[in-house]
Amino acid sequence: MKHLLKGIAAAGMLMGSTAYADTTLKLVEVITSPERTETLQALVDEYEAANDGVTVEIVSLPWGSAFEKLATMVAGGDVPDIVEMPERWAALYAGSGQLAALDEQVAGWEHGSTLTEKTVQMGTQTGAMHMLPYGFYLRAMFYNKKLLAEAGVETPPATMEEFKAASAAVSELDGKSGYCLRGGPGGLNAWVMMAAAMNGTNEFFTEDGKSRMNEPGSVAGLQFLIDMYQDGNAPKDSVSWGFNEIVAGFYSGTCAFLDQDPDALIAVAERMPAEDFAVVPMPVGPSGKAFPTIGYVGWSMFAASEHKDEAFDLIAHLSSPEANATWTKRVGVIPIHKGADQDPYFQTEQFKGWFDTLNGSQYVPTLMPAYLEQFGYFADSIALDSSQEALLGQRTAQDIADEWADFLTQEYANWKAAQ
Amino acid sequence: MIARATKTVVPRKPRARRSLYLQYLVEPFAYLSPAIVLIGTVILIPLIIGISYSFQSIELLRPFNSGWVGFENYLALWTDKKFWIALENTFFWTFWSVVLQFLLGLGLALLLNTRFWGKRLFQALVFLPWAVPTFLSALTWAWLFNPVIGPLPHWLASLGILSEPDNILGDPELAIWGPILANIWFGVPFFAITLLAALQSIPGELYEAAEIDGASGWQSFCKITLPFLAPMIAITVMLRTIWIANFADLIYVMTGGGPANSTQILSTYIFTTAFRKLDFGYASTIAVALLLILLVYSGIVLWLRKKLIKI
Amino acid sequence: MSAVLRRRPAVAIAKYAALAGYLAFALFPLYWLIKIAITPDALIYTEGTQLLPSSVTFDNFAKVILQTDFMAYFGNSLYVSLGTAAVTTLVAAAAGYAFSRFDFAGKKLLIAVMLITQMFPLLMIIAPIYKIISQMGMLNSLTSLIVVYTAFNIPFATFLMQSFFDGIPKDLEEAAMMDGCSRFQALYKVVFPLTLPGLGATLGFVFTAAWSELLFALMLISKNDAMTFPVGLLTFVSKFSVDWGQMMAAGVLALVPSCLFFIFIQRYLVQGLTSGAVKG
Repeated sequence: MKHLLKGIAAAGMLMGSTAYADTTLKLVEVITSPERTETLQALVDEYEAANDGVTVEIVSLPWGSAFEKLATMVAGGDVPDIVEMPERWAALYAGSGQLAALDEQVAGWEHGSTLTEKTVQMGTQTGAMHMLPYGFYLRAMFYNKKLLAEAGVETPPATMEEFKAASAAVSELDGKSGYCLRGGPGGLNAWVMMAAAMNGTNEFFTEDGKSRMNEPGSVAGLQFLIDMYQDGNAPKDSVSWGFNEIVAGFYSGTCAFLDQDPDALIAVAERMPAEDFAVVPMPVGPSGKAFPTIGYVGWSMFAASEHKDEAFDLIAHLSSPEANATWTKRVGVIPIHKGADQDPYFQTEQFKGWFDTLNGSQYVPTLMPAYLEQFGYFADSIALDSSQEALLGQRTAQDIADEWADFLTQEYANWKAAQ
Repeated sequence: MIARATKTVVPRKPRARRSLYLQYLVEPFAYLSPAIVLIGTVILIPLIIGISYSFQSIELLRPFNSGWVGFENYLALWTDKKFWIALENTFFWTFWSVVLQFLLGLGLALLLNTRFWGKRLFQALVFLPWAVPTFLSALTWAWLFNPVIGPLPHWLASLGILSEPDNILGDPELAIWGPILANIWFGVPFFAITLLAALQSIPGELYEAAEIDGASGWQSFCKITLPFLAPMIAITVMLRTIWIANFADLIYVMTGGGPANSTQILSTYIFTTAFRKLDFGYASTIAVALLLILLVYSGIVLWLRKKLIKI
Repeated sequence: MSAVLRRRPAVAIAKYAALAGYLAFALFPLYWLIKIAITPDALIYTEGTQLLPSSVTFDNFAKVILQTDFMAYFGNSLYVSLGTAAVTTLVAAAAGYAFSRFDFAGKKLLIAVMLITQMFPLLMIIAPIYKIISQMGMLNSLTSLIVVYTAFNIPFATFLMQSFFDGIPKDLEEAAMMDGCSRFQALYKVVFPLTLPGLGATLGFVFTAAWSELLFALMLISKNDAMTFPVGLLTFVSKFSVDWGQMMAAGVLALVPSCLFFIFIQRYLVQGLTSGAVKG
């Protein structure tokens, strides 16, 4: 029965390939939204028009289940040619040898030389260029001007102490809170930033490979967030808030501070008048430094692709300075080519917070150790559960810091061993 | 009831020319064959593969990196604190969901089995929750529990059930009641429909006879309605328990198992293990543990059903 | 029982109060869904807890119907759900009849296997199923969804049908068979009319189960033109924002077919009452 069906399927494929001799590329989009898909389709149409005989099939996965779906597709042998690859997943796919290295092609690419250093550096995090990033996320602090004025806070906070005081002041207002704390999914960035700010360094590991997560400074950083929550400077239900809740909490005026990436700007700006909020760099810690997390997403090619040349052509097309400019504006990320930040689009007051961060020497962009294979599991499960336990007072900061440090140290050792 | 008590009696032979062989062996399987073929190919083979994962070390993205590990995964279960927390939560979640759904569903079915004005419309409306896609009902309920955009916390607070209008989904003591309530809302129509259909097959003469004999409403409910419903109750409660124990969607969307694992049930834990940790071997082990528990449970229910039917 | 109610007004009042309670419980969340769908985006949060929005818009519905592919998703879902409901009910009626009327070797084993298929989390078997379907070249096909849904719905539908057949006295069809009907004639003329409520309930359950199924639809379908409606709903939740208004509007639209379907099968559900076979 199965053989028969297989035979029929194979016959169908043969017929299919004689009917359409052209190449079909499968492009998987994972951070899907209707507007993004539209922009991507327009860019792909350009490519198809310029490349006769190549058809691109865009598969848009709903973000909420994109990871499971892509993993099942790949495991089931239904491997796409190109995939939109968040940094978090890159180590996993690169580590299992699924991704093609793009070093040579990028070196020979006409626009390869205008890529910023960071782009190349981050694209090669996994040992080779397993992805060509298309843009960066950088954390900065949104604040609600109206609420701060109501609470009598005159200038937005620049240090952790001021941040705490301003949050407390806003929390005095009836039904309002200071900080839109992300206690639920995706909250790890804030924990890491606070730990780094209080510890004065963004190194995750010491030279002999020990995690710095449970050093006294880091523990003080974790304690800072726990105190924020337990002192009532964050909404009570923020212990389970994820991205949508914190952003909604911010634009509904429930809480006054939100640490987010530029992509949140799109959602916030749609629902809040531009004069009601602004963005400043993350507050600095006792060392006078802050360590906002930086992230990236890019295009990766699967090693199993049968049309590598065409696939790279498509990646190159999507990453050309013009296409990248269109795409990054739609997506809300910082572009990859040198000089792109001169675009008037990024010269607005809204983007000031991010460019201040990029230009200020006291702000050190911090890359999460996403090269660890189990980092996704750490962030989405271990850190999530234990940080909620800490917020709810079931465990101490030291306790969870030790758990995190143990896990990360072990993972780092595994990673080292594999290098 | 009396007619049914003899249900396992082999049917009388209607026509002599039918051979016994044909009747006992071939005929039932002729009716069953489409079901057997479909279940066998679509579920059984993948199910066996799925169970075999539990004896392997297997990662979804590394097909060549797997190997048989015997009972290693099962030994790990014993010392896994999270497993035991999730098991306890699974019991709590399943028990209250099933009990409340069943009682409310039975009540609704009894009401629907009477005559009243506007019944057709009423029936169509109260059954609607069953038709709402789970994902959407989970989001709607999460929305209702949110004090900024939903009324429930404010109502609960003014009724004195909550001291402050807070989101119960953020409270580890109460969070599990959020998905349970959504589940009840979603599941009451299931019991109501099945029990209503069963109620309607009770011969009305029985009630008339009972009324003539001077039985009260409560007496005829206990003596006629319940015994007649018993087989259907046993089946629906059993199936529903199995489904609810396996039902991760509501919890996954509403709380994600949190805060601090307070709503983590086995099926959400399986999801995290399989698709976050990508440890399919261990995830399958948890699934097999759940399967075994449900098997024992079903065995008990089926045994009870047999006892009840042969009163 | 209605006679009892007529005699005691207090019971009648309690009954109507209970009816009103059920109605409110069932409809309030749905009302909230509709409310969000018709509230202008800007007011969703500012008037979050008000029972009535201060202004109303139908933009969300217009956008969902005109600017998205939802009507196509609807068509797909309808095709899959009706197909699944019809095939499952037929297969399950046959199987349920066999379970109800025969004792045969392997009956207990079959029942146990059917039960076990319901006990193992689908998550754990999705990967093997994906592989099989992909090897058969049936990914992205609505037919594969119908096949998978049918297989997963058969056990429950079979148990349901079995209980309905159990409730129909054997004497009826046996009498008919004694009168010279074949088993099929007896089934068609005597048993079938009596199982209409059961068939209606089964159709209704399978239809709604298929209508709102998400996991398989999500995993087995990647092409936009073969997407079903619940997967389409997911696309409103992007990483960076949720389009609540449009999502709820689409959700409200999704209720329409289920509603119509329930009203349709309703005739069979209440049939027992109207035919006079049972008194309320």
